[in-house]
Amino acid sequence: MLVRLADGELDALEDLYDRYKTMAYSIAYRITNDTTLAEDVVQEAFLGAWRNAARYVEGRGSVKTWLLSIVHHRAIDAVRRRRPTTELPDVELPPPAALTLPDVWAEVAVGLDAATVRGALATLSDVQREAIELAYFGGLTQQEIAERTATPLGTVKSRMRLGLLAMRRYLEGGSP
Amino acid sequence: MSGIDPARELTHDEVVEMGGAFVLGALGAADAAGVRSHLSTCTEDHSEIAELGGVLPVLAESVPTVEPPAGLKARIMAAAAAEAAAEVPGAATVAPAAVAPVGGAMPAEPTPFPTADERTMRRDRSSPLSWALRIAAVVAIVALGASTLLLRNQLNDAQAYQQAVTAVIDAAGQPGALTAVLTADGDTGTGLAAVTPDGQVTLAMQDLAPTSGATVYTAWVIGGDGVPVDIGSFNVGRGGTASFSATGVPATSGIVLALTRETGPGATAPTLPIISKGVATAAG
Repeated sequence: MLVRLADGELDALEDLYDRYKTMAYSIAYRITNDTTLAEDVVQEAFLGAWRNAARYVEGRGSVKTWLLSIVHHRAIDAVRRRRPTTELPDVELPPPAALTLPDVWAEVAVGLDAATVRGALATLSDVQREAIELAYFGGLTQQEIAERTATPLGTVKSRMRLGLLAMRRYLEGGSP
Repeated sequence: MSGIDPARELTHDEVVEMGGAFVLGALGAADAAGVRSHLSTCTEDHSEIAELGGVLPVLAESVPTVEPPAGLKARIMAAAAAEAAAEVPGAATVAPAAVAPVGGAMPAEPTPFPTADERTMRRDRSSPLSWALRIAAVVAIVALGASTLLLRNQLNDAQAYQQAVTAVIDAAGQPGALTAVLTADGDTGTGLAAVTPDGQVTLAMQDLAPTSGATVYTAWVIGGDGVPVDIGSFNVGRGGTASFSATGVPATSGIVLALTRETGPGATAPTLPIISKGVATAAG
C-alpha cells in the first residue's frame, strides 16, 4: 500500500481510509471532543499521509501506527491552537534516529486486544494515569500539567516516565 | 519550559528524565529541540525512550470507538482528486493567481470523487481506441494554445516578481532597515527581504515550487533564542513567484528569515527541510 500511496494513487488513499477510518476518527474525537474539528483533523491526516508517503521511513513503525501518530499530532495541534500557549513542540518531525528500533510501535501494536489494553492501563497509579492522559489526550505540556495539578515539574516528569515504563513491562510479560 | 537553562545543552540524565514527556509530545518547543539535539549526538544508550514510545499504541487502542460521519470519505477523496488534478500539467483547471492570500475566497466545491465501482465501470467503458482519440485531441489543442499562453504567463510572472522586488527595495531604503538575501537550501526558492525598524518584513521570492491543496509556504523568523516564530503563510502559483509582507518582526541584525512548506497555515514549528533562508543585516 505504501508504494501505491507514494505514487499518489487515489485508490491507495481510499484503501487506507477504509482500513483505519474508525480508529483515526475515534482518536481525533477523543482529543478534540468536537465532531467538526475531528473531521478536519482526520481529513488533513489522511491527505498528509497520502502526500508524504514517500517520506515514510521503513522500520520506524507500521503504516497503522505511522498514520495514527499523524492523527494524534494533528489533533493535539488543533486543541492547542484553541487555547493560549506560548510555545509548542514540533509535532510532525519523525523520531530521532537514536530511537530507531526494529519497529518502535509495531512490535507492541500487533496483537493488542482489549484485555491487554486494560491490563496495561491498570498498571498505572491514578496520578500517573492523570499525567499521561493530560499529555496524550489533552495536549498539555509537562509544565502545564504541573501547573494544573499543582505538582512539582520533576514529579510530573517522573510520573509520565515511570507510568509508561510500567505499561511497557506489563506488555513484555513482566511485572509492572 | 523545563526550568532548565535553554542556552545550555541537556545532559544524558536530563534527557532520560524527560523521555516520557518527549514521547507523549508534552515538551515545549525548546525542550523538544534540546532532546532531539542530544539524541543526534549522544553515544550513550537511549533505548528506554524508544521503549516508552512503544507503549503509545496502547493509549490509542484505549479510545472508545466512534464511527466517522458518512460524508467524510467523499470529502477526503474529493480533496485528494482536486489536488491530484491540479498537479497534472495541462489539466483543465484554473491556475491560481501568482500569489493567493491564505484565507481568501473559498475555492469552488470539488466534484465528488467517484467510488471504486464507478471508476471500474469507467475504465471498462473506455476502449484503447477511444483513449487514443482523446489523447490525440488533447495534444492538438495544447499544441495550438500552449506557446501563446506560455509567453503570456512568463511575462506576468516576471512582472509580478519585479513588483515584489521593487517593494523590497523601497522598504530597504528606510533608515535603519535590514536586508536579507534568501538562498535555496535545496533546488528551488531564492529571493530578497527587507525588515523596516517598525517591524514590517517585505519578501520577494522566485523559483518556488507551486503550492496545491492546503499546502502553503510559511515564513519564519528566528531570533537570538533560536526559536522559529511563524510570521505568516502564502500560496504560490505556477509562476513560482511570491510577494509577502508581515508585521511584528524584530528589526534586529542577525535574525534569520526562513521558508518552509507546510500542510496548512498555522504551523507551530517548521517542517523540514527549509526551502530557503537568509540572515537579515543592516542595509547600509
